[in-house]
Amino acid sequence: MKKRSLWGEALWRLTENRLAVISFGIIVFYALIASAAALGLIASPWETEVGGSYQAPSSSAFKLWLGTDIFGRSVLYKVIHGARMALGVGLVASLISVPLGIVLGALAGYFGKWVDHLIVWFYTTLSSIPNIMLVIAITYVLGKGFGAMYIALGITSWVGLARVIRGEVLKHKQRDYVLAAESLGCSHFSRIFRHIVPNIVHFGIISFSIQFMTAIKTEVILSFLGLGAQGQPSWGIMIDDAKQELFQGVWWQLAGATVAMLFVVLAFNILGDALRDALDPRAGRGIG
Amino acid sequence: MVCGSISLTRTVIGLLIAFSIQGCVKSAPETAQVLHLAHPEKVKGLDPIYSDDIYVADEASRVYETLFQYHYLKRPYTLIPNLAEAMPEISKDGRIYTIRLKKAVLFQDDKCFKATSRKGRELTADDVIYSLKRLVDPKLHSTGAWLLNGRVEGVSEWHQAAKDSEVTDYTKEIAGLKALDRYTIQIRLLKRSASFLYSLAMPFTGVVAPEAVAYYGKDFSNHAVGTGPFRLTEFSQNRQVWVRNPTFRTEKYPSEGEPGDREAGLLQDAGKTLPLIDKLVVDVYEEWQPLWLNFLSGKLDRTFIPKDSFSQTITAGKELSPELTAKGIRLHRFPLLDIVHLTLNMADPLLGKNKYLRQALSLAWDADRYNSIFWNGRSIPAQGPIPPGLAGFDMEYRNPYRQFNIKKAKELLAKAGFPEGNGLPPLIYNATADSSSRQATEYTVQMFKQIGVKVKVETYSWPEFQTLIRNRKGQIWSYAWNADYPDSENFLQLFYSKNASPGPNDSNYSNPAYDDLYERAITLPAGPARIALYQQMVRMIAEDCPWIVQVHRMGFHLTSPGFGNYKPSAFYHADAKYYRFDPAAQVGSAGKN
Amino acid sequence: MWVYVLRRVLSSIPTLFGVALLVFILFHVMGGDPVYQMVGKHASAQQIADLRHEYGLDQPKTTQFLRYLQQVVTFDFGRSYATRQPIRQMILNGIGPSLTLAIPAFILTTVLSVLISLVVVYFRGRWPDRLGVVLCVLGMSVPMLAYILLGQYLFGYKLGWFPISGFDAGWPQRLGYVALPALIWVAVATGYDVRFYRTALIEELGNDYVRTARAKGLGEPGIFLKHVLKNGMIPVLTNVVIQIPLLILGSFLLERFFGIPGLGSMMIDALHGSDFPVIRTMTTLGAILMIIGNLATDVLYTVFDPRVRLS
Repeated sequence: MKKRSLWGEALWRLTENRLAVISFGIIVFYALIASAAALGLIASPWETEVGGSYQAPSSSAFKLWLGTDIFGRSVLYKVIHGARMALGVGLVASLISVPLGIVLGALAGYFGKWVDHLIVWFYTTLSSIPNIMLVIAITYVLGKGFGAMYIALGITSWVGLARVIRGEVLKHKQRDYVLAAESLGCSHFSRIFRHIVPNIVHFGIISFSIQFMTAIKTEVILSFLGLGAQGQPSWGIMIDDAKQELFQGVWWQLAGATVAMLFVVLAFNILGDALRDALDPRAGRGIG
Repeated sequence: MVCGSISLTRTVIGLLIAFSIQGCVKSAPETAQVLHLAHPEKVKGLDPIYSDDIYVADEASRVYETLFQYHYLKRPYTLIPNLAEAMPEISKDGRIYTIRLKKAVLFQDDKCFKATSRKGRELTADDVIYSLKRLVDPKLHSTGAWLLNGRVEGVSEWHQAAKDSEVTDYTKEIAGLKALDRYTIQIRLLKRSASFLYSLAMPFTGVVAPEAVAYYGKDFSNHAVGTGPFRLTEFSQNRQVWVRNPTFRTEKYPSEGEPGDREAGLLQDAGKTLPLIDKLVVDVYEEWQPLWLNFLSGKLDRTFIPKDSFSQTITAGKELSPELTAKGIRLHRFPLLDIVHLTLNMADPLLGKNKYLRQALSLAWDADRYNSIFWNGRSIPAQGPIPPGLAGFDMEYRNPYRQFNIKKAKELLAKAGFPEGNGLPPLIYNATADSSSRQATEYTVQMFKQIGVKVKVETYSWPEFQTLIRNRKGQIWSYAWNADYPDSENFLQLFYSKNASPGPNDSNYSNPAYDDLYERAITLPAGPARIALYQQMVRMIAEDCPWIVQVHRMGFHLTSPGFGNYKPSAFYHADAKYYRFDPAAQVGSAGKN
Repeated sequence: MWVYVLRRVLSSIPTLFGVALLVFILFHVMGGDPVYQMVGKHASAQQIADLRHEYGLDQPKTTQFLRYLQQVVTFDFGRSYATRQPIRQMILNGIGPSLTLAIPAFILTTVLSVLISLVVVYFRGRWPDRLGVVLCVLGMSVPMLAYILLGQYLFGYKLGWFPISGFDAGWPQRLGYVALPALIWVAVATGYDVRFYRTALIEELGNDYVRTARAKGLGEPGIFLKHVLKNGMIPVLTNVVIQIPLLILGSFLLERFFGIPGLGSMMIDALHGSDFPVIRTMTTLGAILMIIGNLATDVLYTVFDPRVRLS
C-alpha cells in the first residue's frame, strides 16, 4: 500500500474533518467577499446615504437588511467592507509575526550562546510589558494609519512562536539528519532553513491561524482606544460606536459586526485546531 | 484528585450562589435626601487652584467659597456677593476694589485647627489674601495664575521673588493685594478691567485655610477644609461623598429669578435655609452606556447628553420622548456659551498666507446640515466667535463667509490659485483619537471634498494633539472654547496676538489692527462704546477667517423625578446648595423596563 | 535550588533594564509632552518652561534616563503628573478593586476550564468534544467589548439581575458589583484555557505509557484518572501559575465599563494622558510580576516533574 508523506497524511486528516473543511470554506468565502468589495464589485460605494439616520433593518432592499448608521449609510455594506480591514489586518500582522518568530526562534535555538541570550533577553523584555500597552505605544510612535497598526500587531505577537521554535530547534539540532547535513558540508544557514525549519514549520502554520484571529480581535480594542482604522469601515469601529448606540435601541451595527466577526474568528479557531491535530504527528488521534 | 474535585465543585457552587444572592439583594431605598450625580472623568483632586479642570472646579466649589457668586436664577448672569458682604466699592478710575467680608463665617471643624481644638475658626481677610497668593505661587503651578498675573499690582514682583527663592514667602506683601483690616480687602489693578470682578467668582479664587494647607501638605488635594455648605466624608478619584455642613452660615434660597422660573417650580423653596439636601454622592462614569442605564434605572439623578457625542438619544423628536416624560424625567436646555470651530493655522505657510483659500474652505462647510445630523438642529450655527447671550453678540449680523455656498467657494478657491483644487496638496486635518470626533472628522472631509480639496486625516492622542498645536504646528483641527465668564472679551482675547500658542490663541492670528482694537476695548467700561469695538473686531475676524466658526452648543441635562430646583448654568459650579431631593417622587419603578 | 532561584533573579536584572529602556524610549520619543496637560487653557510660554524645568523635562534625554533608572532602583515611584498624587498610594488604592474582580474570575475560569477540558478529552472525537470545543471557541470569538455592551444592557438593565456598574468598597457588597464583569471575564477566558489544556491532555494520551497501561488491561477511566491527569496537570499548573501575578493589573475594559477603580483603568488613563510616572511604574511592576511568574512556573515544573533538572 502506498504510504503517504507526512504532508499528505496531514492533508488527508484535514479533509476528513468536516468541521475543518467547512471552516476553510467560510474563510475562503470571506476572502472572496473582501476582494470583491475591495475591487468595487459589490457593496459599493459604502459611503453613500441610502436612508435616514439610524434606520432600523428592513427587508425592503438588500442594502437595508442591516439598517443604516448615523450618516444614513448602509450597515450591511459597511460590514462587507469591514471584512477587507479584518482580513487585511490578520494577513499582514500574521505575515509579519510568523516569519519573525520562526527566524528569531531558529537563530536562538541553533546558535545558542550570545545569540540565544540576546534574543531571549529581547523577547523576555518585550513580553514583560503588557501586550496592549506595547501595541498602543508602537501605534503612537509610528503615527496612526493602517501601516502602524499592522506593524504593531505583528511586532508584539511573534514571541510565543519564537519560544516554541527555539525549543524545537534545540531538540532537532542534535538529530541525525542535521548531523548528517553538517558532515556533508552544509552551511549553518542551509542547515537551519533547508533542513530543520521544514520539519517544524507546522508550528508556524498553526501560529498563523491563531495570530490571524487575534489580530482581528485586537483591532476592536484599538478602535475602542481610538487608534484603529481611519476612513474605512471596520468591525472594530462599528462595535465601538455601539457603546453610544445600544442604549438608544440601535443594535444593528453591533449585531452585524459581531456576527460577521464571530464566524470568521470561529472558522480560524476550528481550522487552527484541526491543523494542529493534523500536522502534529504526536497528537493522539486515531490511537486507542 | 477525585476527592479534590468534589470539594472544588462545592466551592464553585458556593461562589455562584454568593454571586446570585448579591445580584438579587437590592439595597434598602434611601429615605434621606441623597442625591446621586456623575462625572464622565476622574476627579484629580480638590485643590481649587487647579480648577481649570471642570470636574475639579465642580467638586472644589462644594466646599470652597468665593468672594462673589452668580445669582442662581437670574439671567443674564449677574454677580452677587457671597463671602463678600456687598458688591465692591470701585474707585473712579476703575482700578481699586475695596471688598468687605461677611462676619462670623466659619471654616469647617477639622483636625488641622489645632489652635482652636479642632473647631473651625472665623474667616478673615488674611485667608483671602493667602488663597489668592497661592494662585500665583510659582511653586504650585496653578492653572489660574492668569487671573492675577499682569493684572494686579505687585503680583509679578512677588511671583518673581518667589521663583528666585527656595521656599515661597507668603508673608511678603503684594502691593495690590492687601488686607486693610480683619474684614476688608483691597485690590489694585494695573489697568481698569470691566471683567475683573468675574475672576473673584471663579472657583480658582475659593478661599482655603492656611492651617489645612500646612497640615495636609502634599496631600491637600485629597482633603477639603472650607467654609462652604458641604463637608467631605469620602474622596477618591472615582467617588466623592459630601454631607451637609453643620456650621455653615445662614444663606437663603433666592426669592426672585427670571420669567418662567416660578412656573418651572424653581421658586417654591424661596427663603429656605441652604443647603437643602443632606448628602451628595458623586461617582465617575467613564463610559456612556453605564451612565445612561443607571440613570434610566433611577440610580443616578442627573445625566447629560454628551457634548461631543452625536446622539439623537432622547430628543429624537425635538422633545423628550414620551416614555421618559411619563417617568417624570425632566429635560433642561441651556446655552453653553461656547463656540465650536475649525481652526485654520495662521502660522502654517500655506493657510496663513492665503486668505482666499481660507474663505473658500469656510464657504464649503455646511453648518446647518452638521447641526441637523449631529445635534438634531438643537445647537446654533455660528456667525462669529461670540455666543448669543453675551453683550456684543449681534443678532442681525451675518458672516459673509459662513453662508454655505459651493459656487462662491469654488470661485474663491480659483482666486486662491487652485482652480477645482488643482495644485493644492492634500490639507492635513489633525484629529484627536476618540470615537466621537471620528464622525465629525468624516463630515468635514466630505465637506471639503465638494470643492475639490483633498484632506488627509492624522490622528493623535490628546497629549500629542496639545503638543502639536501649542507648538504652532498642524493645519486644520477642530476645537472649542467655553466661556470662563460672561463677557465677550473672553472670546475676543482668543485672537489677541500676545495670546498666541502656547496661549489660548490657537490659530496664532496676529493682526496689529485687531490688537489695537482689543487693547482699547478691554479698558472701556461696559457700554455701547465697548460693544461697537467688539463688533468691529468680529467683522475683522470674519474677513480674515482664521477660524471656520461652526456652532454654539446647547447643553442638555436630564434630571430624575426626585431631583428638584435644578437650573443648569454655563459656569456656576457652586449650585449644589440649591438642589432639592424628594425621595417620594423618585419613582422606584423606574428600574423596571 | 535556591542557587537556581538566585541566579534567575540576577539574570532578570538585564530584563528589567531592557524594560526600563524600552518604556523610556517609547514614551519619550513619542507621545505628547506631558506639560501641556498640566498648564490649562491660559498657558504662557513662561509657565510651560518653568514646569518643564521643575520636572526635569528640559534636560538631555540621557540625564533623564539615568534619573529614571535611579527611581526604578530605589522604588521611588514619585507622583502622577495628572493628579499629583503619590503613585504608591494610587497603586495601593487600585489593587483591592482589581483583585476583587480578578481573583474570583480567575478561580472560576480555572475550575471551569479544567473541568470542561477533562470532559472534552475523555470523550474526544465524539459529540461532547465537538460541542465543548465549539462552545469555548464561540466564547473566544466574540470581542469582550460586545459582551460588555450586551451584558450590561441585558442582564443589568433589562433583567435587573446585576447592578449595571459601580463599586462599593464594603464587604460583601463589592462582590455583587463584580459578579457580572467576572462572568464576562470567565466567558472569554475559559475558551483559551480549555483549548490549551485539551491539547496538553491529548498529547499526554499519546504517550507510550498510556498504550502500555491499556495493554496491561487498565480501563479507560482508570488510565485517565491515575495517569493522564497527574501528568497532564503539569502544563495546566504552569499555565495557571504564570497568570497569577498579572491578575493585579486587572482588565481595563471591564474596569472602565463597570466603574471599578482598579489598576487596569488607571493604566489606560495614564496612557491617554501621557502620565509618564504612572506608566513607567506600572510597566516596571508588570515586568517584575512577569518575572516572578516565570520563575514560579519553572520552580513548580521541577517539583512536579522530577525529570526536569534546573540547569
